[in-house]
Amino acid sequence: MAERPEDLNLPNSIVARIIKDSLPEGVNVSKEARTAIAKAASVFVLYCTSCSNNLAMRANRKIISGQDVLGAMADMEFERFIEPLQASLEEAVAKRKQEKSDKKPEDIEEGSDEGGENEKENEDEDEDESS
Amino acid sequence: MEKMEENEIELETVVIDDNADSADNNIVPTDIVGATTNVEESNKVEKLVKFPITRIKHLVKMDPDVHLCSQEALFLITKTTEFFVECLSKEAYSYTAQSKKKTVQKKDVEQAIDAVDALAFLEGVLDS
Repeated sequence: MAERPEDLNLPNSIVARIIKDSLPEGVNVSKEARTAIAKAASVFVLYCTSCSNNLAMRANRKIISGQDVLGAMADMEFERFIEPLQASLEEAVAKRKQEKSDKKPEDIEEGSDEGGENEKENEDEDEDESS
Repeated sequence: MEKMEENEIELETVVIDDNADSADNNIVPTDIVGATTNVEESNKVEKLVKFPITRIKHLVKMDPDVHLCSQEALFLITKTTEFFVECLSKEAYSYTAQSKKKTVQKKDVEQAIDAVDALAFLEGVLDS
């Protein structure tokens, strides 16, 4: 695998939006700066993955868990991210639970005979209807 | 369609907790890292992450030492990368403001990398 970080840059438009939202109004960002930040973000992902994986391996686990990522933040000197990350995680879990409880009972019953996988198909149908 | 795929997230099917013991025997990476079957579900949680999780997942998989990554971890890596972009932008901008400019330049980003200890891992990255 000769892929380099540059080949897996994150979408420039999304990077640009995050940058713009984080800076005061009226501030511009050169294309070069945007590209540099996008590149840095890709490297950050790799670095974060590596640190998280180290924590998992130290605990003799093969699967990187959420706790590993949070722990990696401390190793990487990004402790400031830990609280916001935990908050985001709680929000995501709460939202997921809400979605599950919003599901119509009929859908769950229909899926129950066929197992978990087909439940996803039902959800697909829901998605089509709602979109 | 692509956007939906890229924003997929499914915290509840984190296999790690249920199958911790059998994880070694059941190495099916796609179930954990590559579960793209719930792509449409992601519409509902798309507001929680801005970056496409699939793209982040590809980066994570590039590490040869990484075996598996839970969906929860993927979500957090995606989220923290967003925080990182914000943080780096603000750091760079502090140098832009110091020079009384209104456009953040690449050199401002480079200065931020030189100045902040936590950004030391980026040294040399922007040179190419």
